[in-house]
Amino acid sequence: MSTDLEPKLEALTPQDFARGLEVFHQSLRDAEVSYLSACVRCGLCADSCHYHRAEPALENMPARKLDQIAAVFRGHFTTMGRLAPGLVGAKRFDKDMARAWVDAAFGRCSLCGRCSINCTIGIPLPTLFRAARKALGAMRLVPEDLQASVANSLVHGNNMAIERDEWVETVQWMEEELQAETGDPEARIPLDKQGARCLFTVNPREAKFFPLSLQASAKVFWAAGEDWTLASDGGWDLTNYALFTCEDDQAAAIVTHLSDAMTRLGCEVLVIGECGHGYQSARWMGPEWLKKAFPFPVVSILELMDQYLAEGRLQVDPSRNPLPVTLHDPCNLVRHGGILEPQRRVLRKAVAHFVEMAPHGVENYCCGGGGGQLAMSQYRDRRLKAGGVKARQIQATGAKVVAAPCHNCIDQLGELNKEYQLKVQVKTVAELVAAALITPHSAEVLP
Amino acid sequence: MNSLMFHGQTVALNEEGFLLDPSLWNEELAAALAKAEEGLDTLSDEHWAVLRFIRSHFEEKQGAPMVRAVCKNTGLRLQQIYDLFPSGPAKGACKLAGLPKPDGCV
Repeated sequence: MSTDLEPKLEALTPQDFARGLEVFHQSLRDAEVSYLSACVRCGLCADSCHYHRAEPALENMPARKLDQIAAVFRGHFTTMGRLAPGLVGAKRFDKDMARAWVDAAFGRCSLCGRCSINCTIGIPLPTLFRAARKALGAMRLVPEDLQASVANSLVHGNNMAIERDEWVETVQWMEEELQAETGDPEARIPLDKQGARCLFTVNPREAKFFPLSLQASAKVFWAAGEDWTLASDGGWDLTNYALFTCEDDQAAAIVTHLSDAMTRLGCEVLVIGECGHGYQSARWMGPEWLKKAFPFPVVSILELMDQYLAEGRLQVDPSRNPLPVTLHDPCNLVRHGGILEPQRRVLRKAVAHFVEMAPHGVENYCCGGGGGQLAMSQYRDRRLKAGGVKARQIQATGAKVVAAPCHNCIDQLGELNKEYQLKVQVKTVAELVAAALITPHSAEVLP
Repeated sequence: MNSLMFHGQTVALNEEGFLLDPSLWNEELAAALAKAEEGLDTLSDEHWAVLRFIRSHFEEKQGAPMVRAVCKNTGLRLQQIYDLFPSGPAKGACKLAGLPKPDGCV
């Protein structure tokens, strides 16, 4: 599956290249076109990129990655590039440049955006790399394993091709576990509850392999007395891998699963579970893709937990999370998504010892698994190497637990844990809150 | 591209250690994968119960089973599955059962 690029490049026709160029050009706004020739080669981006920090090679430098794309633009869409390509470093879009685009835009970039906020002149590099990914999609050059997750969502309504009865059985199982844990036979994980205030959505990997995070979220809702539901069929999966393939029509179709479920169930608030790209997709990109605003608010479960704690709807005892905890900032949730403080306020209340990484917040480093990297097996070695920056950040905090409000990051952090022998536990924020909850039941058993 | 030496033959693995050709799988190969990929020198009866169930599910339905189905069919509790396979049900158990890497955030 992973060595399939060369035959695909061999099979490209002149029409494919023309189509790729057309899609690339059409997806750029005027300002973005000017940014393509705006780089002043100051070099600040090099240090900002986790790929370059982990391996200081020219091809890992954001400005260089961008120039692979801009060179082709100059070669086809600028007068000087057409007349005197050698003079302005312009390239024709051929097999070699298509390979360079795949390597730069898919193979060495997690679309984390850290280069952009550290760019002297604010070049929106992720937007430009997204345009390149979109063009490569039109040329059928998206890595197949990444495309497969999109196909699953379009065909099955979730990115792991989980069938309805499998999902429902898992939810019922977690409901039984929740009842056993809380000692409350009335504790529910509601499915298709018509008119519930909140429609909650999860990452399919929770359902398939790691359902304890779903149980933890449910426990938080139970303790807060929230009126909530999950959808049983379509509209329960918050992921949208078309954000990474940059096929906007497919992204629109996938985000419609969520808005359709909101309409079908008559819910008021769409709640996105702990997932960076899922939040970015539903909260910010969804209306862009659909070209209309949602008639309902989209919030992260982190915001809800923050609100519950502020309103006194949840009582927590931080001593139940005694180990030092640090926090990973998922790029799509924090730098791109704007959710910065809620998770921090929550952790300061729910854990005994909270320690920040340096840097953190909007200046965080990507874990290395973002932008679809986790799904692309062929870049595994680069992904783990680039993740070394995050691994060293974690080590420097001395924390024994890493809170990561994103299931994609959790998987990558789990691999970094093994690769760099970090000896930490990786948990969702809801799992830490659930562990700290003072509930009527737990109050009884306390001395 | 990775590979594993098995009975003097080279078995091709993808970059994450999953079998490139799932049809090559057998229990001896699973034991070799367990050692090479998961650092498990021996596989217990519980490991085998999980691996055999995942494999039979895959051969019947072409995908990885839900961890719910694994628990139900082996009688093991969820935490036991995580303890048995340090890399988890996907990158641990499914890999040793010779499945391709599951799609999604794993």
